[in-house]
Amino acid sequence: MKQLSERIKEAAFGSLSSGQVEMVIGWQKGPLWWQSFPAFITDPGETASLIWDPFSVSNLNKYLLNEVPKKKIALFLKGCDALGFNQLLRDGRVEREKVLLFGIPCDGLVDPARVEATGLSKGLLQVKKEREELVFYYKEGQRKAPARDFYYSKCLSCRYPNPVTCDEMLGEAVPCQPLERFANVSKLEAASLEERFTYWSRHFSRCIRCFACRNVCPACSCRECIFDIAEPRWLGKAKESGETLFYHITRAYHVAGRCVDCGECARICPLGIPLAELNRKFIKDINELYGEYDAGADLDKEAPLLTFKSDDPDVSA
Amino acid sequence: MKKITKEKLALFWELLARRATLYLPLQEDGVVNFAPWKNGARVNLRENSLVPPKNVFFPQAETYLRFQTGAKKLQLESLEPEEEFILFGVRPCDVASFTILDKVFLEEPVDGLYAKRRRLGTLVSLGCNEPGETCFCTSFELEPAFAPGADVMVWDMGEFLLWEAQSEKGDELTAKINELLDEAAPEESASALSLRNTTAAGEAAAGCQQEWNTAGLQEVLRGKFNVELWEKLYHRCLGCGICTYLCPTCHCFDIQDFSRGLEGERFRCWDSCMFAEFTLMASGENPRPTQKERVRQRFLHKLLYFPSKYGLYACVGCGRCVRKCPVHLDITQVMEPIK
Repeated sequence: MKQLSERIKEAAFGSLSSGQVEMVIGWQKGPLWWQSFPAFITDPGETASLIWDPFSVSNLNKYLLNEVPKKKIALFLKGCDALGFNQLLRDGRVEREKVLLFGIPCDGLVDPARVEATGLSKGLLQVKKEREELVFYYKEGQRKAPARDFYYSKCLSCRYPNPVTCDEMLGEAVPCQPLERFANVSKLEAASLEERFTYWSRHFSRCIRCFACRNVCPACSCRECIFDIAEPRWLGKAKESGETLFYHITRAYHVAGRCVDCGECARICPLGIPLAELNRKFIKDINELYGEYDAGADLDKEAPLLTFKSDDPDVSA
Repeated sequence: MKKITKEKLALFWELLARRATLYLPLQEDGVVNFAPWKNGARVNLRENSLVPPKNVFFPQAETYLRFQTGAKKLQLESLEPEEEFILFGVRPCDVASFTILDKVFLEEPVDGLYAKRRRLGTLVSLGCNEPGETCFCTSFELEPAFAPGADVMVWDMGEFLLWEAQSEKGDELTAKINELLDEAAPEESASALSLRNTTAAGEAAAGCQQEWNTAGLQEVLRGKFNVELWEKLYHRCLGCGICTYLCPTCHCFDIQDFSRGLEGERFRCWDSCMFAEFTLMASGENPRPTQKERVRQRFLHKLLYFPSKYGLYACVGCGRCVRKCPVHLDITQVMEPIK
């Protein structure tokens, strides 16, 4: 990964110092082993602080909604991020010519919770990836383990590890070995109505309405969101099961057909609500009803939920 | 000092729950939160809760008024908490957060709902054996394994819990459940003190992992309203409410009505200074128009405005925001450049 991290610094330095862009969005590192976060750099002298490591999970493309209208920006895209970028483009929310994209092939990133679950986090100073292994650094030495054991579940079912779009690719393409992504959805579909209602009610009862799932979502790009409107107040502010269900179900319907299955909503949820399953149910249904469609990847296909055909299954039924 | 062996804990919960509503750190779907104990619930005394226990005294939403309008006059019914409860397993950092909330809600004008819940609740604190990776309570002169503000202090010694009443309410609770408590031997009582000392001193992995030098921070931040730092910081903030809703000291709320036809209710609910709508006025004017002003407000409120008014920082070092902020706007780190 070190090589890639050097190439990121070079790309950032080059595009800023040549005046090609005015800002670069990448990742920087905090003092704790899992703290990699979005960085906004305008001074070529600061590009050396950019990193790429097993925790560079934050999707950077959503920031384009705030930043791009002002200036031309360079940013780094992993496979999942490239899908989100394409969706923002398709939704008319970014201007392609105002963005310089550097692609990063990524075979998976590390979920800190999985490191903690194994007890490896105690006294952990740093984690590096070396080929297929993670190296855990401690004061007293180091330990190694297979990297894939620590990846986010969303990474294990990733079907686009190599960005489907970019201006320049910064690394060699990585192989793709996705796990079946609809396994949990199929399990839920097999459950009774009552079981499913209990399942979702239990999970949603934990929702604190922080809106992190919406704010991180590349398909949620409305300038004004219905859930923020005070008058009329469509979504009540009470922590009440009906309101919470209204929020999550409305959001799931709204992003249906545009959700790129990047899994950020579920990753970011502080209460561990399996939001990606809800979105994947819609994706599965769309695939079954209208034919396979990958939002963010199938740019030449018509968006099934935005297109009417006289032989649509719900018409003929 | 008293003790209770762990085999008796199931009985213990049952006995406590018979006296009053018993809030415990319960684990469900891998997440630990305080909730009323029911038979079969999975109690987790190892981890602190994700949502802070402030929601027991200051619920995320609570209805306090019902109204009905008929042909002639408006009928109003006030609601207030009536139920006695025991809040068991609160960590010392979170106990300290109640001192901060007390400043806001118990000084004039006193908040009746909060005050009533403070009276109805008995607070049992559980000392930390091994503070977490993002813990920094010692930076605020708190002890990981001691909470002076709790009615009862409990320590997990492996095979048994040590139990010490620290207030009148604590004595009353002890008397009610005395049948399950044994007298602790002198060396067992001494082990609690030794746990207090080792965790407070930050020895090995037992202490707070993070150290944040907060000395003089309030002075440093004075007059820093317009410094460039805020310009640099806010870009990465997603504007979600995780930091404020998981914070044990954040206490901003909104008041809303829910009505259908001729009747309805008035409730108050948590609100977050991270949300754009938080300061949006009826005129359409917003004095905090971008995330920059919102991020600045959160940090300055905790570390400058609150201490200026009440004499203490509105942060107890529980580490929840450090752990859960998706973009790692880490309160212990972000203001370092100002220093």
